[in-house]
Amino acid sequence: MVKSEQRQAIEELVYRSCLALDAKDYQGFLALCDEDFRYAITTYSPEIRKDMVWLDHDRKGMETLFANLPKHNSDHSPITRHATVYTVEMGDGGANVVSALQVFRTELDGGASELFAVGRFHDTVNLDGAGAKLARRVVRLETRQLGYGYHIPF
Amino acid sequence: MARTAAQWNATPKFPASHYVDSRIYTDEAIFNEEKDKLFRPAWIIACHESEIPSAYDYRLFNHPAGVPLIAVRGDDAKVRAFYNICPHRGNTILYDPSGNAKRMTCIFHQWSFDTRGSCVEISRAEQGYQDRFRKEDAALREVKCELGYGGFVWVNLSDDCVSLREFIGGALDILEPYMQEPMEVFHFHKAQVRTNFKLWHDTNSEFYHDFLHYFNRITGMMQPGYFDRRYTGFANGHATVGSMQIQYDKYEGSQARAVGWPGMAPGGWYMVDLFPGMTYNLRTSVMRIDTSIPLGPNEVLIEFRGLGLKRDTAAERAQRVFDHNTIWGPFGRNLHEDLLGVTGQGRAMRRGTDSRWVLQGREEGSTIHDEIGMRHYYAEWSKRMGRPAYDPYREGKPEPVRAAA
Repeated sequence: MVKSEQRQAIEELVYRSCLALDAKDYQGFLALCDEDFRYAITTYSPEIRKDMVWLDHDRKGMETLFANLPKHNSDHSPITRHATVYTVEMGDGGANVVSALQVFRTELDGGASELFAVGRFHDTVNLDGAGAKLARRVVRLETRQLGYGYHIPF
Repeated sequence: MARTAAQWNATPKFPASHYVDSRIYTDEAIFNEEKDKLFRPAWIIACHESEIPSAYDYRLFNHPAGVPLIAVRGDDAKVRAFYNICPHRGNTILYDPSGNAKRMTCIFHQWSFDTRGSCVEISRAEQGYQDRFRKEDAALREVKCELGYGGFVWVNLSDDCVSLREFIGGALDILEPYMQEPMEVFHFHKAQVRTNFKLWHDTNSEFYHDFLHYFNRITGMMQPGYFDRRYTGFANGHATVGSMQIQYDKYEGSQARAVGWPGMAPGGWYMVDLFPGMTYNLRTSVMRIDTSIPLGPNEVLIEFRGLGLKRDTAAERAQRVFDHNTIWGPFGRNLHEDLLGVTGQGRAMRRGTDSRWVLQGREEGSTIHDEIGMRHYYAEWSKRMGRPAYDPYREGKPEPVRAAA
């Protein structure tokens, strides 16, 4: 059974993770993550009838990715991640949290916003120690057409 | 000193083979002509054999000329291709992009077809058609289909086309030693971007734009052997680029690729660009295939496939997927940059912007920053279109369609 204060801490963790990445505050995002954090973006292709992994990094890999980003040419249009925590279930390795995710992209010139992607966060949250920490995040995308793509993980 | 309108519009100071008129990227009439003259008679990759491994497996493909197709493996294991159009009232027969269907049945009136294209059922046929129309009159339209060059399923809409072997010629010889083992698709995604399909092919046909890619500059351009890579042109507009040893460990947080490709030197990288819009890209541990499907003069849908070896262990496959995603996935470093680059071209060249010319004038002995790959493509384009790319409306001096660069 999830206590209400645990649920509140988990929801705040999920929402803060969105705010940090929206703001490109990579250190702030990593501060929400465990030392053993792992991040993946996955999706299913009905075309080839296979699950696909589109990104998979441990914490060090995420740190390197974030550090390398300024050296690359990237789309500078900001994206905003809109999450809604659906379910929280306690498991052996922490709380298993499923959230709906919508990502919008806003054009720099003129400010038009459009839906970029939909999917879900499948998070494992560690509630040991001081507060809630992300131990694992799998972004399960429904959207597979992302135009020219994006360099910053969702 | 900046240029005036007259200077901006003046013919570039290059041979006519070394520039193209920007309007070939924006003109609706030229675009429609391209579908008929370039794509309809060309062999096009519809899918890979690993996407339809079993009898009755099918895969849908929207052909660049506009025709919806079904590639299906029959009960005899042969792969055939048909229009995905019911001969009754023109409905779509199969809706899901892939599946397994012993009978392909149109949901509209339940007309049914087998994997050899024969109509096997017309609902209430006798009552409606008596003896005026029979199943034999209602077969699917079959198109040419061949398997080859790494297990890809190639289709051709023209009944009197040249053979696939004749179409490819020697262009894929450079990859032949590395396509002896069965491959398997592990990645597929589509990117729809506002640009002309040729601009995507151009980007695959020139490496001068490695300045766009930090990853390529660090692991390639700044390493020995990079400027020795050489282009070779082939008949029918195809071109290849020779290999070098990519230094993957030079990219921060990266390391020499742990899995390679049978027979290929460590860090090797070969590319083959096939006219009018496909690319084989074997980069050390992963084969990538691009197939362009033009949707309009300034809109293209590109199908991206990533392939490993069918015999991969789980660990080998995971490494190939990781390598692929580092640069080529939708969140990869290089693909985003390339797609951003051609989208910028589409933005600057769309109708009415007064973009006038695209220069392809670099000559460096056919090596990596020479723009001969693009020149070779547009020589073929001009020949097949019957209009020179440098003067598509023949507004300038009468000149013969240019020969291959």
